[in-house]
This record gives sequence, structure tokens and C-alpha cells, in this order.
Amino acid sequence: MRRLLALALLVAAWSAHAADAPLKLWHAYRGAEEAALLKATGLFTQKTGVKVELLALPYDAYAAKLTNAIPHGAGPDVFLFNHERLRNFQAQKLVAPTTDRIVRGDYFANTVEALEVEGQLYGYPLSLKSLALYVNTRLVPQPPANTDELLRLLPTLSDAGQGRFGLAYESGDFYYHAAFLFGFDGPLFDASGRASFQTQGMARSLTFVKKLQDAGYIPQEASGALVKSLFNDERAAMVISGPWFAGEVASSVPYRVVALPVVSATGIPMRPFLGVEAAFVSSRAQQPQKAHQLARFLSMGEASRVRATQGRQIPADVAVYQLPEVRDDVLISSFREAARHATPMPNTLEMARVWEPMKLTLRAVLQGGTAPEEAGALADRRYRALHRERPPDASFAPWLGLAGALVLGGGVWVLRRPAAPLPFRQRYPDVARAAAYLAPAAAGLGVLVFIPFAVGLSLSLFHHEAGTYTFVGLANFVDILASRGYRITEPLSFYFTLAVTLLWALVNVVLHVGIGLALALLLKNPLLKLRGLYRVLLIIPWAVPNYITALMWKGMFHRQFGAINGLLVMLGLEPVSWFTRFSTAFAANVATNTWLGFPFMMVVALGALQSIPQELYEAAEVDGASRWTQLRRITLPLLRPAMLPAIILGSVWTFNMFNIIYLVSGGEPGGGTDILVSEAFRWAFQRNEQYGFAAAYSVLIFVVLLGWSAFTRRLTRADAEVTG
Amino acid sequence: MNRPSALKMAFVHLGLSLMCIVTLYPVLWVVKMALSPTDGLSLTANPFPETVTFEHFREVLFGTDAEGRWLFGRQLLSSLVVSGATTVVGLTLAVTAAYALSRFRFPGKEGGMQALLVTQMFPATLMLVPIYSILQKLRLLDTLTGLVLVYATTALPFCIWMLKGYFDTLPRELEEAAVMDGASPLQVFLRVVLPLARPALAVTALFSFMTAWNEFVLAATLLNDPTRFTLPVALQRYVGEYKVEWGKFAACALVVSAPVMALFFALQKHLVGGLTAGGVKG
Amino acid sequence: MSEVILSGIKKSFGANLIVKGVDLQVGEGEFLVMVGPSGCGKTTLLRLIAGLEQVDAGEVRIAGRRVNDVPPRDRDVAMVFQSYALYPHMTVRENLAFGLTLRKFPQVEIDQRVAEVASMLELSHLLDRKPKALSGGQRQRVAMGRAIVRQPQVFLFDEPLSNLDTALRVQMRGELARLHRRLGATMIYVTHDQVEAMTLATRVAVFNGGVLQQVGPPLELYNRPANRFVAGFLGSPAMNFLEARRDGQHLVGKGFTLPAPADLSPDAARVLVGLRPQDLRVAAQGPLTGTVDAVERLGFDGYAFLTTESGPVAARFDRGTVVSVGDKVSLLPMSDALHVFSEDGATALRHPADRESLGVAS
Repeated sequence: MRRLLALALLVAAWSAHAADAPLKLWHAYRGAEEAALLKATGLFTQKTGVKVELLALPYDAYAAKLTNAIPHGAGPDVFLFNHERLRNFQAQKLVAPTTDRIVRGDYFANTVEALEVEGQLYGYPLSLKSLALYVNTRLVPQPPANTDELLRLLPTLSDAGQGRFGLAYESGDFYYHAAFLFGFDGPLFDASGRASFQTQGMARSLTFVKKLQDAGYIPQEASGALVKSLFNDERAAMVISGPWFAGEVASSVPYRVVALPVVSATGIPMRPFLGVEAAFVSSRAQQPQKAHQLARFLSMGEASRVRATQGRQIPADVAVYQLPEVRDDVLISSFREAARHATPMPNTLEMARVWEPMKLTLRAVLQGGTAPEEAGALADRRYRALHRERPPDASFAPWLGLAGALVLGGGVWVLRRPAAPLPFRQRYPDVARAAAYLAPAAAGLGVLVFIPFAVGLSLSLFHHEAGTYTFVGLANFVDILASRGYRITEPLSFYFTLAVTLLWALVNVVLHVGIGLALALLLKNPLLKLRGLYRVLLIIPWAVPNYITALMWKGMFHRQFGAINGLLVMLGLEPVSWFTRFSTAFAANVATNTWLGFPFMMVVALGALQSIPQELYEAAEVDGASRWTQLRRITLPLLRPAMLPAIILGSVWTFNMFNIIYLVSGGEPGGGTDILVSEAFRWAFQRNEQYGFAAAYSVLIFVVLLGWSAFTRRLTRADAEVTG
Repeated sequence: MNRPSALKMAFVHLGLSLMCIVTLYPVLWVVKMALSPTDGLSLTANPFPETVTFEHFREVLFGTDAEGRWLFGRQLLSSLVVSGATTVVGLTLAVTAAYALSRFRFPGKEGGMQALLVTQMFPATLMLVPIYSILQKLRLLDTLTGLVLVYATTALPFCIWMLKGYFDTLPRELEEAAVMDGASPLQVFLRVVLPLARPALAVTALFSFMTAWNEFVLAATLLNDPTRFTLPVALQRYVGEYKVEWGKFAACALVVSAPVMALFFALQKHLVGGLTAGGVKG
Repeated sequence: MSEVILSGIKKSFGANLIVKGVDLQVGEGEFLVMVGPSGCGKTTLLRLIAGLEQVDAGEVRIAGRRVNDVPPRDRDVAMVFQSYALYPHMTVRENLAFGLTLRKFPQVEIDQRVAEVASMLELSHLLDRKPKALSGGQRQRVAMGRAIVRQPQVFLFDEPLSNLDTALRVQMRGELARLHRRLGATMIYVTHDQVEAMTLATRVAVFNGGVLQQVGPPLELYNRPANRFVAGFLGSPAMNFLEARRDGQHLVGKGFTLPAPADLSPDAARVLVGLRPQDLRVAAQGPLTGTVDAVERLGFDGYAFLTTESGPVAARFDRGTVVSVGDKVSLLPMSDALHVFSEDGATALRHPADRESLGVAS
């Protein structure tokens, strides 16, 4: 009885505790949106007395965090995300359905549809994101209603030589191009729901955009930052962008927002994608009732008003537009208007498969490598290559057999090894001490490096789809090695990528070592003035985090506004479109990586040079050796033992130098400059989380590097024999 | 040594200055971005800002979050704590392991060294998922301790390799002399070996520190409290889904890079000696 | 009571047996020098005594105590290394004091002992320098000082003078000898330099191939070497060895006939004759002839190196004798100069009678 009472008390205490526990809300908002959200949650707390704990995350790490945390029960109760990933979240059972709770009429119909998966609804729609036309009213008093009007306006507004453009948008991004595609009546999916690229609309929309670019009406390789600075400098008269752009426009620029023009050739308005941001309730929410309450609260009423007026969001909630401050807000109502024509972005896996082929194709066309008419075929081939069917399940049995045989064979080998000439204790007198010294590191490494490593290795035998793993044996490897879907000599085939990777590693290491050594030789002279200063300045690139380096250089290689082209023009040369050809894109990657990598080699070489005794040079001088001979016969051979380990390590790092490839060239053109790691990353995180396939890639990387290290080990061993 | 001719020295200076310009040019761009009032890419090749404002720095350094908390201060503290602890833990583990690998005879030594190198070859991105599960099992999720352990262990293989190489070059007789002088194994290690390995320790410490200081994916994934986020997480927050706040990103990038640069400059003498493990002398 | 007793010591590294069962006693206050060619196991033996290596078999006793399992710091021995092994990160003072600090001596005593040793070794003005700033000889003295300051029962030296130039070496040799007299401690000294062995030792132990060949006072080893190895190792130039057979009252070899010593057992049919170059003179007539290959003039006398029918031979000549390369000369042994060894060189069959007058070669 007493025990029961205690238990009851405990339960009561626990539930009381749970009642007090704040709701956890995760988001990736910044600035005004974040402030509005905070206010809205404050209102919720006022009303219900339930506290809300907010966590703002960097967008780049957000999805990974959600997919990791929620299944482990460490996630939020409610999280805000756009609806694009809903299908993934649903398949991984991260989100709770809201079918019976939601009143469809409360929201715009297309926003609710966007949250539908297999007949169920998930989340509460918060706001719309779609594209509209920002018009500088000083330059364009009368916004174009259709593309004919647009084409009439553009010539007078543009002067590419002066860096002025009639229109600016991120033309290389399919999210933007989709508006053109749909305006030219191009469907993206056929009747069966499969992506279809070889359509009239595709060819015509691409032709149209290519013409705009060739005429100098729109900037090339426009990034968000460029678009913004063009518009703010009034060098771009019009901009296609979303509501988020409003906060970036300088106060000096007079502008208004209108719906995208109608495509004159088809009479159809340009129809951008509609993105819906929603408040999703986690499937593992600690307090589901309250979580639903919060999510619903945020999506309508007062919260909706705050988000609109303060956060400058376009609410999905119908009622809020009755309020004068929302209705009369020009920006919000303009976007609301523009969104009427918007196509809800499908939340299907099929949609997720479209992005990459379309991006590749779009860029291929804009960069001039592919004619718009052939683009559809290109996209289709890419699509089919990237669209991996799930391989057939394999049986565990032969693998278990194999593992058993290996264990048995290993056991037999150990037992049958000739007995050691000395007892163990004598052969290894320090075993106990060694164990004590090694134990802490070994424990840490074992748990946090080797186990994850083993898991990573074994993942390569599985197929991952939406949270479930199925054992497929070697199917992943077979697909990769048979280069299924690509010709061997084509970018994205394993062999092509491998060749690029090897070239990448080789060129980089040669440059790193060459430049590093040359600088070290220059810096070696103790009589050199300013030696310390030079050394300090030359080390700087090493100290800069490499993702910052990559973004820096990406900007410098910009076709129209990059500093490198600026220098070329200054020297009277033609500017180069760096990322349109393999050779130049590769060179851009190499330049970036060389910049960040040479200081390491310089420092190693400097150290090694200092330890070569001066007498050797004096002896050589007495023997009448020239400077060149001294370098070749003394310096280089004596540097070898010190440089080799550094070179091996450097080559391994370069081989896996993901940040540079991903952030500088991004694999352009057409995946040509991708290396194996960036491919693995794309399979893991951009192509429907095919972890198994990505792991297989990683295993192959690993095997290549293992071979390389075995090779270099023989080199070092031979070296040790030479130098004794 | 002969005094080189003035002409030759002029060439050497020319070459070095040229390289320094190449080195500094991109950095100046970041500085320009951070100091320019307009957010965004410049349209010129001139790496010096035309108008200077400290607005971005002010916002990055002194801005408060929506709840009015001065996040930069806390995140700086958190970064310092995490990086400092990573350095201490990583160095302690690496130093002992490297010493054992360099000095003691035991079975599996060669294999162990190779295994360490091997872990460097597997792309790190795929390790995130298992690491998350493991930390959860250890109840170290959402703790700075967990983060420190992950950073320290991921930096370990390189650190052990470096230090082992350096220990190999230290003459054993010094340790034997200490033994004869009456030092216990621990005293030999602490009072003779470690002081002698100072250059290598400095480099290894710098490397561990950098690993922790610059990382953001793990930090953002493993931690759930914005006041405990490290600075790179704050930095990445300027890179949004739809837009990047370049000015603040640049300002924050400079702030994040500054301590590492300072460390580099402070330790650069050691860097040269410390990295040359197993060098010509050995 | 600080004698060192080694019995049945064996030590191998991997499959190589380096020390093959050594028995050796070093008495209190003795200065024992272990000599032998490199790789003979002398340094290993020293390290076994120090405790830096563990014996595989046998027993090490220091001051009556079995120390096989005693760590070096509890053996009360000090060691001076060939490379000096000064701690580069410490000043001379800290180097000297290190052992005492570790043993938690009171600071006053440490200071006093360091000062004492420093003045004894003339290091007082160098105490605050780092080893890097010292000359070779100074480093050597610091290394010795580090051992002395601890006042151990046993000193171990591992070729401590081999890194010094000749003049310094002679000087340090003198200092070492003085030191031994002054401290009266047991010293065990490893060298490959027979001059050091002969000048410093109260007893010399000669090793070859991990086996103790002979141990005894220097002159005894010089005069009565137990086998061909010891005979050849001590003395410079090295002893000449000539193969010979017994023929009645004579020993006959290729190109020579010598009278057999009366005390040589008649059983030995084939023998090895040993003649020190100092006992063999270039003369007008003699039982042995050869062609001069090289000449070393040392001033007062000199050595000629010849090729004879029995192989290379070295012989002494006086100041007055004119010898030049290419000459054919005769060699005359001094009376009762013959060492005779068994044919394989393993045992000595006879030695000349002791001649006190005969000094050690320099």
C-alpha cells in the first residue's frame, strides 16, 4: 500500500513536472521573422500559461539536426520548416498528422494541399513563399504586364558593359526558372506523376531566358547577393524574388511588387512555385496536445497578424486578410496576389529528384554548352541516372557465412602461427604500461571514431529510403562500378569522377609542395630583412576557416564582377566565364585550394630546411657544386623524409577536400569538377538521403586512399633504406 | 655564408611581396565586405572599402537576440570553453598515446598506427548519424562535454601521428638519464619528455583548437541551447535558406578567424620546428 | 659495502643473444673498465647494472642486495652517458639538481651540494647557462657532476670521453682518475679505447661476443693475456701472431725458426706464437725477414709494418736505425718475449716472465 502511494506520488510529481515543462520550438528564422515569432509565442504563453522555448538554428544544419534528434526523442515539440521536405519527414515518421484537427477553410486551399501526403495532412500552414516582380518605379514607372512589354522595356534599361541590367534574378536556380517553365506551359510531371523534361515548354522557356542573357538584359551567374546589390545600386530595374527580398532593399530605392508578367506567347501567367512554411508537430512531442495547440495558434489569428506586420511574412491564414493593417499592406497583398497563380511545389520524392538534373541543365544552357532544344534530353538522362531504383533485397546468410569463415580462418591462422621465440612478457616488456598510456585515447577513439567508422562501412551494404534500411549486399557497389546510367567517360560516372579526383589531388599536392618549398627556400636566408613579417603574412590562409576561404574565392571568380576578371580586364585580357568550362572551373577550384594549402607545406619545408646542416652546403661549395646542383643533390634528398609524411597527409586531405569543390565550383559545369567526396555528399544529402549508396562511395574512396597509402608506405620504406 | 648580392635580394623581396599580395587580396575582400555599408558583392576589383562603417561589427559583437540576450558574449565563452577543453582533452589523450606508440614495445603497434591513418580516409559526413546515436546512449547529447569528446577524438589521429613522429626524434638517453636520476616513469614523462616536446605540443594544441573552433555542423546538431552554441554556428546563422547576410557574415567571419590567427602568430616559431616531425635530424 | 656482483647474466634482444652468461665481481672502491670491440655486450652489461634493461637470466647484486627487480632509481647508482644526455630545457644548475630534487632533498642541501660539485668541476661560473651554450668539455663535466652530486654507491660510465678531442680526453682522463681517488666510490667504466682502460682501471674486463674473456689488473692482462683475443686487443700496435709447429727444440713457421721456450709443454704440436711489436726489433740479423710496407716514426723510436711469409708483422726500431718503405729487413725478438697460444688461440700456453721495466705502450 505504501509502495503504491509512493508510486502515485511519483507519477503525480512527474506529470506535474511535465506540465511545467516548456514546449520546445525549433526554427531557422532570423531578424524580423525571428522577432515576430518570439512575440507570437509570447502571446501563446500569455494566453495558455505554457512556456515556449525557442531554438534558432543555422539553416545548413537544420534538417540534419531534425532527422537525428526526433527519432531519439531529443527533438522539439514543434518545428517550423518549408513543406518541400515534408515527404521525407513523413516517411521517417518525424511528423504527427493533423488531418482531424485542421479546419481546411481557415487557410488558402493551395497551402493546405501542399501539406498533404498520402491523403493525410501534416502541420499547420504558416506563410507563403513565392516569387513576384520587384520593380524600381523610378526606372520603370509602368510595370510590364506581359513578356512582350518586358522585352520592349529591357533594351533601354540594360547596358551590360556598364553593369546595368533590365532584369535580375538567380537565373541558374531552377526554383526561379520554374516560373518561366510553367508560363510557357511546360508541365514538369506527366500524367503518371513522373518527371518529364522533353517538352515544348522546357525548350521554349530556356530559349527565352537564354536570349535575355545573350542580349545582356540579365546578369550571368547571378547570386542572391549580386541581385540585391544590383537592385540597391539601381543597376537592375527589375528583380524577380520573394518576400524575403523586401527586407534587403535599400530605403533609397523606390519600388513596388507586382505579379510576374504573363507569357505573351502562351497567354499564361508566369507561375512560380509556391512554398509553404508550416508549423509541424513532432511525432515524438512530449506534450502532443499542447504542441498542436501551439502550432495551430501560430498559424492563425493574432499570431498570424504579428508575423505579417512584424515578420513581413505572407500569412496562409485567410481571416487575417480581413484586418486593415494586413489588407492595406501593399507588399503583403501584392505577394498574396502574385501567389494566386503559384503552383504548389509538390512534396513528393519525385520533386526532390528534379532539382539536380534541372540545375545541371539550366546551367548547361545558360553557359552555352547545350542548345535549349537539347536541354530536355540532357535533363532526362541526368534524371534517369540519379533516379536509382531500390536494388533487390539480398539475404544475410552468405554474408554471415563469410564473416564466420573469416573469423574461423583468422583463428586458425593465429593458432598455427609459429610460436614466438620468446615468451610474450619478454618480447613485450612494456605491455602493461603501454596499455595504461593508450587506454584513454583508445577508449575515445573506439567509441567515437571506430564504431561510427564501422557503422559507416557497413551502411554501404544497405539501401536507405526514408528512414528504413534494407540489406542489399553488394548492389550499391555493382551500380557504382558498372557505372549504371552514365557512360564511363561522362561526368558523374564513378570512373570519370575518380579520374578528376586523382587529377585534383595530384595538381594540388604538386602546387602546394612546389609553392611551399619555393617560398621556404626564399625565406630560409637568415639575412633576409622582414623575414618574420613575410612569414606571418604568408601563413594567414591557413588560419582562415576553409568554408570562409571558399566563399571568398567563389566571389572572386564571378564572371562579371569577380576580382579575377577585373584584373584580367585591367591587363587588357578578355574576362573568363570560369564555371562554364571544365578547365577553368577546375582551375578555379585549384587556385582556391592552393591558396589555402601552401602555407602548411611552406612551414613544414621551412622546418626541414632549418635542420639541414650548413656544413653540407659548404662542403658542396668546396666541391664546386652549383646552386642548382646543391638544391638537387642536397636540399631535395634531405627534405624528403620530412616532407613525405606531410605530403601523404596533404594528399589524403586534398582527396577529401569537400568544402572547396562544393562551395567554389559546386561541381560545375555539369558535375564535371565534382570529386568523389562531393558525389558521396550529394548522394547522402541531396538525392533522397541514399546513405547506403553514399556509404558505398565512401568505401570506394577509402579503398583508393588505402591503396595510395600502401604505395607511399613503400616509398617511405625505400626512403628509410636509402638514408639509413 | 656569402652575403647575397643586392640584386638577388631585390628579386627575393619582389617574389615574396607578390605572394603576400596574393595572400592578402582575398582577405582584404572579406574586410571590405565587413566594413561596407551595403550588403553584397562589390562591382570593382579594388579590395579597399570606399565607405567604412562598423555597423556590421557592432551588430555581430553587441547585437542581442530576440529575447534580449547578448548571445555573442555567451557564444564566445562557449567557443572558448569548448575549444579550450578540446585542446586539453585532445592533447592529454594524444600525448600519452603517442608516447606509448613511440617508446613501448607491444603487439599491434604498427597496426594501430595504420588504423589511425585509415580513419582519416573515410569521409566524415557519414559519421554524423552514428555519432549522434552514441552520444545519446552515453547521455552526452546537448552537453558541451559530448561536443568536446567528439572534437577531441576526431582530432586525435592527426595529433597522435604528429606527436609520435616528434617523440621518435627525441633521444632516448635523456629519458634514461632521468631514470637514473631517480625519476619515476611519470616524472620522466612530465618533467623531461613533455618540456622537450613543446614545439610539437604547441602545434598539436593549435590544431585541436582549430578543429573545435571552426566546426559548426556537429555543434548545431548536438546542442539544443542557443546560449551554448559556438561562434561558427552563429556565423552560419547569417547564411539563410533564401538569403545570405554578407556584411554580417564577413564581420563575423573575421571575428571568428581572429583568435586563430592570433594563435598562429604567437606559435609560428614553434610551428616551424614542431611540424617537422621525424625530420632530417632523425 | 658497495661491490657489484654479476652472476650468470644473460640478455638477448629479439633473437640475438647479446650477453652470454657473464660472472663478474667488482669490489668496493674499485675502478673496473670494461673493454671490447663494439657489439661485444659491454654497454648492455652496463645498462643491466643500471637497471635500464632487465636481465633474462642470472643475478645482479649491488651492495649485497639482489637488484634484478629493483628499478634504477632505487639501485643507488649514477650513470654518465656517452652523449652526456643533459636536459636541454634546464640550466646547468637545474641539470645538476634534478636528481636531488626528485629525491626531495631539502633545498639547502641541494644548493650546497650543487655548489660543491660545481666548484670541484670548475663549473661555478656556468651554472645559469643552458647546455646548448657550453663547450664539449664543459658538457662532459656537467654530465659527470650530475652523477657526482648524488653521491651514489656506484658510478657507471658509458664511453664518456669518446666525444672529446684528444687533448681534452687526456685531461679528462686525469680528472677522472683524481675523482676516483677522491670519492673512493665503485666505478664501472665502458670504453672501446684500450688506453683509457690501461690508464684508469684498477681492473680491466675484456669482452668479446658477449663473453667475458679475462678480467684482471691492466698489466696482468697485458703481460699474461688469457687468449689470443685479449692479447691482440690490448697493446698498440697489436701483438703479432705467427703460426708455428713444434720441431724438437724449435718452433717452425713459414719463413722463420725460433727456439722453443723451455717452459713450453712438449705436447703442443701446432701453436700460435705471439710477439709484441715492442719485443721485436729491426736488426741486422734475425730469424724473421720481411719487406717494409709502412713506417711510423714516433721520435724516440718507431714502428715498421712489414709483410713476411707468415703474414703482416709490426716491429719496433730505434732512433738510430734507418728503415724505409720497400726495404727488406730482418727482425730479432728480444729474449724471452714469446707468448704461445694454442693453435685456435683459445688458451695461452705460456707467457714471458714478468718484466716490470716494460711500460705500457702509448
